[in-house]
This record gives sequence, C-alpha cells and structure tokens, in this order.
Amino acid sequence: MSAVSPGSMVTGLMAGVGMALLFGVMDASAKPENLTFLEKPLTPEQIALGKDDYVEFCASCHGSNLEGQKNWKRRLDTGRMPAPPHDASGHTWRHSDQELFAITKFGVGAVVPGYESDMPAFEDVLSDEEIIAVLGYIKSVWSDEEREFQHNLNLKDGRAR
Amino acid sequence: MKRNTIVAGSVSRRALLRGLVTCAGLYLLPATTLAAVSESSNSAIAFDSNALIIARGSLLLYRDRDRNWITLPEMSAGSILTLATHPERPGRVIGGLDTGRIVLSVDGGKSWDVRGQGLPKAAVTAITTAATNPDTIYAAIRGDGLWQSDDAGQSWVFVMDRPWLANAERDLTALSSVDLATGMGGIWLYAGTDTGVTRVPDCFCRWQDVQPGDAMDALASGKQATPKVPLPEGEPVSALVSAVSRPATLYAGLPSGIWQSQDAGVTWLKRSEVIATALAVHPLRADDLVIVNNDGVLQSPDGGRTWTAIANI
Ligand code: HEC
Repeated sequence: MSAVSPGSMVTGLMAGVGMALLFGVMDASAKPENLTFLEKPLTPEQIALGKDDYVEFCASCHGSNLEGQKNWKRRLDTGRMPAPPHDASGHTWRHSDQELFAITKFGVGAVVPGYESDMPAFEDVLSDEEIIAVLGYIKSVWSDEEREFQHNLNLKDGRAR
Repeated sequence: MKRNTIVAGSVSRRALLRGLVTCAGLYLLPATTLAAVSESSNSAIAFDSNALIIARGSLLLYRDRDRNWITLPEMSAGSILTLATHPERPGRVIGGLDTGRIVLSVDGGKSWDVRGQGLPKAAVTAITTAATNPDTIYAAIRGDGLWQSDDAGQSWVFVMDRPWLANAERDLTALSSVDLATGMGGIWLYAGTDTGVTRVPDCFCRWQDVQPGDAMDALASGKQATPKVPLPEGEPVSALVSAVSRPATLYAGLPSGIWQSQDAGVTWLKRSEVIATALAVHPLRADDLVIVNNDGVLQSPDGGRTWTAIANI
C-alpha cells in the first residue's frame, strides 16, 4: 500500500503533478476524477473492498496483477478461451459498465447468448454492491484514457462505436 | 420463383469484349453443375474502384475501368489465395499467399512488394482491410489465427485464435470488415469457415454467432429478440463479403448457392443457385456482384438474380 492518502493525492493533482508520474504512484487508494460505475462516483472504501474481493474471487484466473492467464489469446485444449487480463492490455475496457456487470453476475452468456466459457457467474457469490466494487477496482488500474473510452460506451448505452 | 439465368460462359474473350449481352445466348444453369465445387484451384477477386483484380492459381488478371482485360505478370513469391482492396486506396491491392506471406501492390497488381515478415509460415487463407482504416489489415493464417497490421502489412501482431465451431477450431475461408458498430467501441469482422459464418468485434473480445438485436436490450427488457433465419447449418462458406456502400448487406457463397442478408447476417435469403468460389461487391453499388467459379468470372447487376459471364478463365 502506498503511503499517499487520497486527500494528499488530490492536493498533489491540484498542484499540477504530471500525469505520467501520477500513474506511476497510483494505487487502489487513489481516486481518479473519472472513476465511476454507472455514473456514480466510487469511493476509496469501495475500491478497497473491491480489491479484497478481486484477490479472493478473481485473481486465481485473471491474475493477481490483473495480467490474465498465460497465453490468454490462445484457446485452451478444451476449446474455451483463457481468462483475459483486466488491465489495459486486455479488452475489459471495451465493455460498458452494464456489460461488465452482466458478465460478472451472470457469466459471458448474458451478453453473448449461448456462449460457452470458463468465466463463472457470481450471482450467488457476490452481492451487487460487491460486483460494483470489484469492477470499480479493475477500472481504477486503467489509465484515464481507457476510462474515458469506456465511459463513452456507457453514455451511449453500450451502442457506441 | 424465377430461375437464375446465366449468359453462356463458353464464348471467347474477344467475343466477350465485343459485348456479351447482345451476342451470347441465355441458358439455364444445369442443376448438376451446382454440386461440383472445385477445391483444386483457389480463387480470389476484388474491386479496385471500378476495376477488378482476379487471382486463380498462379494466374492474375486485371480488368481496368474501361473493361480491358490484362494478364498480369506472374508473381514469384507464391499463389494468391485471397485479395483485399480499400476504396480510399485506389490502385492498392493486398494479397495473401499460399506460402504464408502478404504481397502489396500500389499499381493495380503490376508489381508487388512482399510483406508479412513475422507472420507464421502457413497459408494466408483470408485477408481484409479494416473498413474504417485503410492501412489496417487483418490476415487469417491456416492452423494459427488472426493477425493484425496497422501499417499496411509491415508489422503484425497476433490478435485472436481461430473460432471454435461444432467442436473444433476452424480455419477462416473468408474475412470481411463490416462497418457496423459493435457497442464495444469498434466495428465487426465477419468470417466464413468450413462450417458457417461467425464474427468477432475488432476489440477481439470473443468470436460469437450473429445475434438478432442487442443482448443487453434483451436482458434489460426480458423480451425475446426477433427471430433469425440463418444460413443452412454446417455448409462450408467459400466467400463472404459486406457491401461497403451498405455494410449490413452481406453475400455468402455456399455449395447451395449465393445467399444475401440485408440485416448483417440475422436473416439470409438464397439469391442464386450459382456457385462462387470467390465473391466481391462493387464499392458503390451493393447489388453489383462479381464472382469466380468453374465457369469463369461472372457479374450480376441485381444482387445475384441474373448473371453475365465477363471472362472465362
Ligand atoms: C475460474 C476462472 C475465473 C474466475 C475465478 C473469474 N473469471 Fe472472469 N473470466 C474467465 C474467463 C476464462 C474469461 C474469458 C471468457 C471467454 O471469453 O471465453 C473471463 C472473462 C471475464 C470478463 C470479460 C472480459 C472481456 O473483456 O471480455 C469479465 C468482466 C470478468 N471475467 C470478470 C471477472 C471478475 C470480476 C471475477 C471475480 C469476481 C472473475 N472474472 C473471476 C475466468 C474466470
């Protein structure tokens, strides 16, 4: 954990800390301006809870650094796809909040009917608040650019270009 | 239902150039020829603005915009299995080779530059340019998967494994960038396989069947999406193209004939019993089709209803 508190982070921002430097030191306790879920700002507490839930429920497949499974672009022998990274090197940020929520709660079949995958449905494991917190944590590791791109998908109700 | 009529394909090229419609007789294509799809010679066809380029085996033909046919010099690097052009790059033709390279021409196929160093050494079975970015090329490699280049073929990255259909990984037989929004910040890539059509968003999130409507809408409203009329199940797709001028209009060449969809592949209608081993749509006219088959090169001005032989190769 970084010693920088959210408060001092914001102060630092105001003082004009370079963005590149900022990303370098950002962690789950930081609260970027555009970190929202379904238009609601996420609190540092939510992000912290999300990180805990991520470690417990997601990291085994998606990696403790959100790096995804090894060779995640290559199909497994079972015919299914491995778990992709949740950081910017994957494509989680290409899904709207609605889609991310639906995938986590009900599985990938909720957005691609009939699709078979190893991604479990967390409907009976995590509450809606916890799902939002986990996804909020995932979004907190993206850069402002990915967050903005992804936010535009949300604005247009997932039908953006 | 109206039968497909076809202008005799046995006329000489000179006769063709004199004007086919006036001098050639019409005959009905016998049903027996329909089943015979030759796998022996691969063919590819693409519009270059109003011009056409055709590859069959090692033969390369070009029909310029004045409709003069030119036999292009043979290429030493291999045989072209698949061709791609882009309306914003007139004269530029990209070919995928049986030897696993990409060739690029900027003079309508007269001379070629070999690219695709870094691609696996296996046949390039399908290529397309991104509808919204002429320098982005996607190449499907046999036994491997999909690769993407954003610099007109100089450098390549692996983007997606092959689709899994009917319990096996499938090579792509055709690839078409379809300029319709995915909802994931990009557009679609549609692909033909030896067992039907599939698609992937250009974020390469996952291969998926064509779905009627929007799954999120269905999830939110609990309403059933509109029914779909798919292609006949399990048929191999030898050609698949989206019309640049009307992206939701797709044509697919199957052993059962040429099929058309006007809603991006939700509902399909058989337009012709004619077999196509390769197919292209005019960049400005979505009903103007050209195909290659065992009879040669045929053109249809009306979305596959009637055909005129324009070359016998
Ligand atoms: C058992 C392994 C496993 C666990 C545990 C798991 N996932 Fe997944 N997840 C997958 C796989 C595999 C995929 C890819 C599915 C596919 O495309 O076939 C995936 C895909 C996803 C996607 C879609 C990503 C995209 O860009 O398409 C999201 C979102 C996701 N997972 C969220 C989560 C969250 C949040 C958790 C923890 C609460 C979690 N997953 C736990 C295996 C897992």
